[in-house]
Amino acid sequence: MIRIARKQYEEIVAHARQEAPREACGLLAGHGDRIEQVYPVSNRAELAVEFFAERGLIPPGRDYRPEAPGTIAVERFFMDPEEQFRALRAIEAAGLEHLGSYHSHPATEAYPSRTDIELAAFWPNMLLMICSLADPSQPVIRAFRVADGRVQEELIIVED
Amino acid sequence: MAVTILIPAPLRRFTEDRASVQIEAKTVSEALAKLDELYPGIRERICEPDGRVRRFVSIFVNGKDIRSLQGVETPLADGDEVGIIPAMAGGR
Repeated sequence: MIRIARKQYEEIVAHARQEAPREACGLLAGHGDRIEQVYPVSNRAELAVEFFAERGLIPPGRDYRPEAPGTIAVERFFMDPEEQFRALRAIEAAGLEHLGSYHSHPATEAYPSRTDIELAAFWPNMLLMICSLADPSQPVIRAFRVADGRVQEELIIVED
Repeated sequence: MAVTILIPAPLRRFTEDRASVQIEAKTVSEALAKLDELYPGIRERICEPDGRVRRFVSIFVNGKDIRSLQGVETPLADGDEVGIIPAMAGGR
């Protein structure tokens, strides 16, 4: 179970909407099971093509150039490393714990994709929050932990 | 010439849970070699066998990505801070 205040919950939804049709991403920080701060990070998927390609995470025939019609770049996220580093330092400086990350699925359900599960291996057991905008008027956020390819859902309590 | 190496959470199982390690080193490459002497096995999580930094890892010296500096040959000075961060990525 994970707790998040309404304000931070809404921040994630707003960030997802702002970036759509691209994926939004960021870090989550707080104490124990409570998320207290959200740190948006720029999505640099277009600069990480080799990273995805060498893991077989670009389907054959798909164009990865960011400006190409139907580009795969809008279906991936890769956090800007320098911003990610700065956010982790800011979390530490604020006396918070780094609890995990969030990202959006602009057109699909709020469940970890094959790509999410594979790449969660770098940060095992961290909280993975996904905001789906599949129904734009009804955003859905769900939370998971992934370790050794196994996905476990965490119930989210939104606190007013 | 002591520098501080910041260890990311996923690699702390190598460092007895330490979040930072002090090391004497004049370059990033030397710092990683010495880190591996202290904590065997950690270097191969960060570098390819040929010494290049793995594509899903970024190393920062005082907040600057070493890819925009001199790579693993980036010089270090007393008090420098070396950050190591695995990528955070995913997709639908």
